[in-house]
Amino acid sequence: MILFNNISQIVLIILSVGLLISTLEYLKKVQIFSTKGLLSWNVMQLKWTKENQSPLLKPFFKLFSVPGLAMLFLIRCLLITGLLFFPLQSTVGWVLISLLGLSLLLASLVTHYGSDGSDQMSMLIIITLILCNMPALASNKLRDIGLWFIALQACLSYAVAGIAKLVSAEWRSGTAIKDVFSTKTYGSKKATLFLQKYPAANLFLCWNVIIMETIFPLCLFLPWPFALIFLVWGFIFHFFTAVIMGLNAFFWAFMATYPAIYFVNHQISWNLF
Amino acid sequence: MLKLTPTAIYELVITVILACWFLATILCQFKETGVSWFIRYKIDLFNLIPLWTFFAPHPGKRDYHLLFRDKTDDSYTEWHEMDITEERTFWSWLWNPEKRDKKILSDVVQSLVSSIPSYREKTGNLNLLMFSTPYIIVLHAVSHYKKHTENCYRQFMLAESAGYQKETTPSLILLSVFHQI
Repeated sequence: MILFNNISQIVLIILSVGLLISTLEYLKKVQIFSTKGLLSWNVMQLKWTKENQSPLLKPFFKLFSVPGLAMLFLIRCLLITGLLFFPLQSTVGWVLISLLGLSLLLASLVTHYGSDGSDQMSMLIIITLILCNMPALASNKLRDIGLWFIALQACLSYAVAGIAKLVSAEWRSGTAIKDVFSTKTYGSKKATLFLQKYPAANLFLCWNVIIMETIFPLCLFLPWPFALIFLVWGFIFHFFTAVIMGLNAFFWAFMATYPAIYFVNHQISWNLF
Repeated sequence: MLKLTPTAIYELVITVILACWFLATILCQFKETGVSWFIRYKIDLFNLIPLWTFFAPHPGKRDYHLLFRDKTDDSYTEWHEMDITEERTFWSWLWNPEKRDKKILSDVVQSLVSSIPSYREKTGNLNLLMFSTPYIIVLHAVSHYKKHTENCYRQFMLAESAGYQKETTPSLILLSVFHQI
């Protein structure tokens, strides 16, 4: 039975929603892996033909065709569904998540181009959960260490993104968001018109993102009501990047880290305050 | 004293692995260093070390376009654009499969653009760029797209535009030679 008082399980459930959507999206676009597609294995295998890489990977090469990858994505959907019924700490649950992790690792060999930070965060969380929940060997302490790792990676991601924006003249001058929103790739016509109508909003949004991302790691140390401000900000931030920029997978991958942040905040708070 | 049970050994090993992973992630946030290059290109086979500098320091301000034309005998066809930069739908906040094509093209173009200066510096021209993976990816995709006749020659063009900012004119990034397809 799934227990919602288990933080690792909550992390997995939130992440599973995003992974299911992302996998179904890949299934819809599976033709990009065809011999005529952008990620055709005929071309993508060039990345793996160097020196000592190919012997290890050869057994998997047949998989990277349209039928092979469609099957892999279908199996992944079944694994994710199965994880709703078997707890992470059960043997069956651990086997399911391990197979899920394996499918993510395999697909990463062919999706070198086109994957983004949400894919990396998802992979990072899944591998951590696999390592830290191994039946018979994983202790409660190790599960806590896994949650610490996920929370620290999440905070690092925000802080690095914030600092990289802080050193950027385009972000400091308040033009970056307007410029990104004006692209068809990551923007929207309505958002562009809004920012053209209210130029002050550009500066406000840029500095809002710079400041909140840079100081985000404070949410690990602050008393919970103050830490919650950062998580609410993060929720709104990711929701709007999904709505305006179409970055839907980021929402689920980063929301999945918030229970881990909650866990670490409470462990630190109990010691500090 | 610490008792070396299988659980304790496993705990120690995994903790060390996670600590190394976190340290490698920190080191790899500095793109230009030798350590970062070594970890990224020599160790990180599965792309497990993230770069967390989303949209910074230089945010993507351009849309990329991939166009092609054919040469048959002595005539050229019109330029055709591959349908990649489609506008998003209302449901894209939840369901957005189209983002993959855009991201692939964006990654490939950025990889091409970033490698152009080094090719120019090393050889004085861009001939060797044709052997790079991003170039071959683009050429491969273009070669198979709406191919009408056998044995024709196809040229592709990578261009960029500023999306909804209509006052900015599109500009050329790369014009290929004609390739027999």
